[in-house]
Amino acid sequence: MNYNNPEVADLVRPTQIHRSVYTDPAIFELEMQRIWGRAWIFIGHESQVPESGSFISLKLGKYPVVMVRDQVGKVHVLFNRCGHKGTKLVDKPCGNTGGGFTCCYHGWSYRLDGKLVGVPHPAGYKDTGFDKNDPQYSMQKLAQYDSYRGFVFATMDASAPDLKTWLGGAGDVLDNLCDRSPEGEVEVAGGVLRYEHECNWKMFIENLNDTMHPMIVHKSVVDAANDYISTLPEGSPQRTEAEIIPPFGASYKNFEATGITGFRYGHHYDGGKSSIHADYSVDPEYEAAMIKAYGPERTREILTFNTHNTLYYPSLTIKSAVQNIRVVRPIAVDKCIVETWSFRLKGAPDSMLQRTIMYSRLINSNGSMVGPDDLTAYRRMQEGLQSPASDWVEMHRNYGSDVDKGDRLTNSGTSDLDMRSEYAAWREYMLSKVA
Amino acid sequence: MSGQKSNLETLHAIEDFLYQEASFLDRPDLDAWLELYTEDGVYWMPAIVDQKDALNHISLMYDDRVMMEIRKRNFVHPRAASKDYTVRASHIISNVRIRKMNEPTGDCTVTSNFQCISYYLDKQTLFAGTYIHELVKQTVGYRIRHKRVNLINCDGVLGTIIIYL
Repeated sequence: MNYNNPEVADLVRPTQIHRSVYTDPAIFELEMQRIWGRAWIFIGHESQVPESGSFISLKLGKYPVVMVRDQVGKVHVLFNRCGHKGTKLVDKPCGNTGGGFTCCYHGWSYRLDGKLVGVPHPAGYKDTGFDKNDPQYSMQKLAQYDSYRGFVFATMDASAPDLKTWLGGAGDVLDNLCDRSPEGEVEVAGGVLRYEHECNWKMFIENLNDTMHPMIVHKSVVDAANDYISTLPEGSPQRTEAEIIPPFGASYKNFEATGITGFRYGHHYDGGKSSIHADYSVDPEYEAAMIKAYGPERTREILTFNTHNTLYYPSLTIKSAVQNIRVVRPIAVDKCIVETWSFRLKGAPDSMLQRTIMYSRLINSNGSMVGPDDLTAYRRMQEGLQSPASDWVEMHRNYGSDVDKGDRLTNSGTSDLDMRSEYAAWREYMLSKVA
Repeated sequence: MSGQKSNLETLHAIEDFLYQEASFLDRPDLDAWLELYTEDGVYWMPAIVDQKDALNHISLMYDDRVMMEIRKRNFVHPRAASKDYTVRASHIISNVRIRKMNEPTGDCTVTSNFQCISYYLDKQTLFAGTYIHELVKQTVGYRIRHKRVNLINCDGVLGTIIIYL
């Protein structure tokens, strides 16, 4: 069906969401225009385009875009479309396009900033009204693109607030991820996993700081790990896996204590003082490099800011304490792709990246024992919500007791504050221009 | 002549061993499957072509015996939501070639092509690629020290890989 604004407004109540928000293709189309067409969407990290001509290509919502570094080192985000007949100019996930883009179809060529420079056999355009210098025939730039500590975002909305304003207090976690490098910089390392999810994209992000699920959904892997570990002879060497898997079975009380913090534009994180990543052992070589770079007090500050997941609504979620990120790419109302990327802390020993890689593999991989159980729950929701038995999904936990701290709301770690923050933003994007 | 015959017998014994391994995964019987691995055995499914190592680059799976033991227990756990479905497979293994042979011990590296049709969530999924087995000769038969599964689409968009291939 087609929705007018009052009908869209009726779909989200303070503590309830109408099932069609997850199941109706018309809502998905509206979300692509109004949320994915207005919010800052994570494109990639600058380290993925190290040299002039380096590019990555991806979809921003439904539209193919390319992130490319030009000859003077500036990173651009352009629509991946030839100004002639619309052909995608690059069709690989990454590569180097040399000094510019050349279309595979009729050979139109562009500078790395998208400006059209070459049209073969130009005589035919004489006196036709076609002007090569008319910007409409160049590759189009996204309305705004910007980078925060190497993380490149773009928005199709020229009137969207600037990136730093949009990140707000949630930007602290991106800072923390980078500050965990003795050099204050991170880079993408160790490849990507692309995992197809048969569910609405919002189910994935709503699960991130849903701390009422791990002890249920992940009980099986925690049991299996603990069961096997208990058979090992006493004094067996401690395995890194044993630090990573069992905390997924943490108690309600533990999760409650971590706290959830929600921000404007739908961002939120779980944790702060503590999280399920807080008890990882620290490589002494890494700690020494950090202390050398920052001094003991600042090092302690950085390493004790422990968040679990942080969502930059709607596309990016990061784990600063683990140094990996996941990016959700919506495909259809019932289909999305979740990408997992790992980061190297520049100046840190290899052991740090190796733990990140192990985490991504154990928890987020298509072949892991954690991610597939989450996905099973999403897939079952996607099917269950087809039923008209009830129209509403609920999110009441700790409703009415959010603590307003100015730029942020806080509540218990087991509250639904995360989901309510997302839907406050959902309404704002879906019903009006966000300013 | 006798040397050639002996080579053929060796190849035949190796093929038979690979089929045996595949049949445990077809059912699947992870208890029996795990016993085919040495104590230092490793199962590796890389996430890119020609992946050099599993520590500094992401893999789809990289299990030693400890992780195999955990995965075996997880697979039959009554609360493992993703395992609450029938999982069956049919493996076809072909193009078996001995790439390296330690004549004195009989330990060898063997490559083969595989196609595995996996049945999961009421859907059949075709996985295809190359196996590289490092086998350790036993008094009778072989055990696996290292199995590498090179999927032809290892770097593509993939769904859940619910069990070893």
